[in-house]
Amino acid sequence: MLKCTINGKEVEVKEGSTIMEAFYKLNEHIAHYCYHPGLSVAGVCRLCIVDIEGNPRPQIACNTVVTEGMKVTNKSERIKDGAKWVLDFHLINHPLDCPICDQAGECGLQDQYMEFGKYNPEMSEPKVKKHKVVDLGPSVVLDSERCILCSRCTRFTEEVTKTNELGLFNRGDRTEIGCVEGRELDNKYSLNTVDICPVGALTSKDFRFRQRVWYLKDSESICPGCSTGCNIKVYYNKEGMFRVKPVYNEQVNGHWMCDEGRDVYKFVNREHRLLRAKKHASGAWTELAPGRAAKEAAATLKAAGDSLALVLTAQYSVEEYEAIVSTFVNEFKTRKIYFWINNKESFDDFDGLLLRGDKNPNTKGLLRVLEKHGIEATWGELEKGLSSGSIKTLVVAGPENPAVFPDLRQKIETLSAAKNLIWLQAGRNEQLENLPGEVTLIPLKTFVEKSGTFINQAGLEQRFKRATTIVPEALTLTEAALLLSGKDLSIPVAKEVFVETNRRDDQVMLEHRKKNEFVFRRGAL
Amino acid sequence: METKLLSQHYHLDEFRFLEGYRKHGGYEQLPRALQMQPQQIIDEVKNAGLRGRGGAGFPTGMKWGFLPKNNEPRYLLCNADEGEPGTFKDRMMMERAPHQLIEGMIISGYAIGSKKSYIYIRGEYHDSLRIVGQAINEAYKAGFLGKNILGSGFDHDMDVYSGAGAYICGEETGMISSLEGLKGQPKLKPPFPAVQGYLRKPTIVNNVETLAAVKYIIRDGAQGYRKFGTEKSAGTKLFSLSGNVVKPGNFEVPLGFPLKDLIEGLGGGMKPGRRLKAVIPGGSSAPVLTADEANKATLDYECLSGMGSMLGSGAVIVIDDSQCMVDLLGVLMHFYHHESCGQCTPCREGTGWLNKIVHSILEGRGRLQDIDLLLKVADNMKGRTICALSDAAALPVISFVSKFRDEFEFYVREGRSKVRGTSYAEMHH
Repeated sequence: MLKCTINGKEVEVKEGSTIMEAFYKLNEHIAHYCYHPGLSVAGVCRLCIVDIEGNPRPQIACNTVVTEGMKVTNKSERIKDGAKWVLDFHLINHPLDCPICDQAGECGLQDQYMEFGKYNPEMSEPKVKKHKVVDLGPSVVLDSERCILCSRCTRFTEEVTKTNELGLFNRGDRTEIGCVEGRELDNKYSLNTVDICPVGALTSKDFRFRQRVWYLKDSESICPGCSTGCNIKVYYNKEGMFRVKPVYNEQVNGHWMCDEGRDVYKFVNREHRLLRAKKHASGAWTELAPGRAAKEAAATLKAAGDSLALVLTAQYSVEEYEAIVSTFVNEFKTRKIYFWINNKESFDDFDGLLLRGDKNPNTKGLLRVLEKHGIEATWGELEKGLSSGSIKTLVVAGPENPAVFPDLRQKIETLSAAKNLIWLQAGRNEQLENLPGEVTLIPLKTFVEKSGTFINQAGLEQRFKRATTIVPEALTLTEAALLLSGKDLSIPVAKEVFVETNRRDDQVMLEHRKKNEFVFRRGAL
Repeated sequence: METKLLSQHYHLDEFRFLEGYRKHGGYEQLPRALQMQPQQIIDEVKNAGLRGRGGAGFPTGMKWGFLPKNNEPRYLLCNADEGEPGTFKDRMMMERAPHQLIEGMIISGYAIGSKKSYIYIRGEYHDSLRIVGQAINEAYKAGFLGKNILGSGFDHDMDVYSGAGAYICGEETGMISSLEGLKGQPKLKPPFPAVQGYLRKPTIVNNVETLAAVKYIIRDGAQGYRKFGTEKSAGTKLFSLSGNVVKPGNFEVPLGFPLKDLIEGLGGGMKPGRRLKAVIPGGSSAPVLTADEANKATLDYECLSGMGSMLGSGAVIVIDDSQCMVDLLGVLMHFYHHESCGQCTPCREGTGWLNKIVHSILEGRGRLQDIDLLLKVADNMKGRTICALSDAAALPVISFVSKFRDEFEFYVREGRSKVRGTSYAEMHH
């Protein structure tokens, strides 16, 4: 360990650490664009200049290694003035089209200008014209004029995905990012380039122009897209969910997530959801409240006796599995609990970075709960039971994310052989809504509407927290288990309702006030 | 009078070829060097006080000393990407005395323990490329290159590589990137090339003239080489004299030679009726000297840096009183804007900005505050980037504007040149 002093504060860092890492460790502010902890050091934005005692020239913090006793500051007049000018160099050819730019509100240029800016631009010459709305590939659009050429995206495709689609072309202030001839930015991690772009140069085709970011709230969660369990942030407001971004977790996903995972917000939204329970009996469909439907089904289940079975997909939380499995084992005295495995062939696939073939977030969790209760039933037994008629009443916790169940259609056909089918699922499904037999469809909540635990492929237990409510009447699997066993829902005293985070109220207020200071100073807009 | 060491045989056509070269003492120093210990050669070069002739003037022996002391493969690169405007000394060396360079390189390669060297030749130098290539083939045939050179057990291979016309590839790490097949952009330092350079191996990059001079240090010994030049600037140097003189050309003089004598004596002085106005002493990146300064200056590292300029590559550009300094700065800024690699923000944006400001003055759109803005922009480009191109663009601006401010102010106020009396548009149509 080495000791150094940053802006008068002492800090200990590992040998070989850069000054930038020391700044990060102390949580001291330092302006920078090209530095990204997950990528190699480029040292090109020249914004992170610092003064080192005994060194006549300003040095960049991202490429200077800390030595014992080093005294560093970025608060000297020379550095403050220098950084102002470097920021201005970034901005002289930037279009300043913030009002129509998607990045506005979370833009590196905006944020850092507020803190380090020069505030009296002296550029009065015409700006350099570059390409706009460049289609880089299926998911990313480039605006070269906004680009500050920090090279984060090119380094990402070079170092992380190793696909090398992107390059810097031409030179001087005519330099532009672009795809190598004959290629397009089409890899399974391409949207990370949008996240790491500090400005609005790279935008996601899926998200652009859909929301201003200051109208979005965010909440941390776990990606339910596959068994890796990437840590994510979901962005939502009262209109629904809008996007997903990765959150750094050294143990799981580092800084990145895959493009597939970016779509997990879609099945959560109202237009794909089953809003009320539906019941098909004696040739007619009736709609009713989910809780009531579950309660009505309770009698059927009780009467089913030995002909009752349960099918589970690996898309729910450990807590929910425990509730429903123990209900079936203890209340209904049945051990006919089956694990619906999707795409079995590719279960162990892994692309070496993040993507796994097991497209369920909680396979390990389900297996652990089944093991705890000593359940060893196989799918073959279920099919036999259905065809022989020994299983007549079937409760299914269907897929939350139907996109990853390629065998969904056949499985529904197989399972609909049961005389009485109670299907619990968040999303709508036409095939289910057209089944001829006695069917009850009960809507469930999705991962953003409940708290729980997923156990990822490595056996890591990850808690996720409720972010918002999209279908208020929908049930969690735990609630459904209680209602199906004939019990009433006990309503827990919610402790986390008023404050979403663990922060104290006054801190939240303070932070908001600080955030809006700029708006207040300028008066109403 | 010239003191001819490197350029002694330039006038002989036969000197280009192995036969002729050997007639005049060629490849006589190589066997002597191969009998010395490598460290002895390095010490000799250190004691001779040889400094890099490419522009930075870094002590060559010290640079060689930065190589790690192990058996890792290492490379010697000869920087023949002579891009500094005003410089044409390396070209003449390669075209008139290629073997002199090759011999110097084999000796240097032996000294630093390199088995492979490249000569990176500027893309526009087609003849140099051909001639040096032929000379290398001759040297291979004669056994001066290849395996077990002259029975010494030392192997050395040499190759030429043509640049593609970028000024920035004359910067040593830019050159390494280009040689590696990457975009010619300087690399972040540290690590320095001596530790991690070409193909991430220890690499020494030296100028053509520097490497050729090594041969003469072996011939005359450190003390013999030190006979020429001054205490801090030892030896002779080739100067490319150009601009408004009667006899432009390459001249070899000992360092410490008065600049006035170079212009008046060797260069034949000013054209009739013209007076000296300014001199750029070391290639376009060197800050300009006024006539008074130029008359006092001596051509060595310490005197010129004392005057706030630099010896640079030894390209002396003479400017007489018929030249408008605003015009000239316009030309320079166009060059640096065109050649900035675009990596570092201050240089990428700054060179473009400076170019635009100078041209808006030239085109009559200038404002008085633009003159100070030029200084402010240049000041904030200086020393803030990976390589020295940003400084190379900023320094001329600062020197031009501060030393010839009246011409800039006149241009802004009147919309025409103080010297020419006409506007930029009138000059171009």
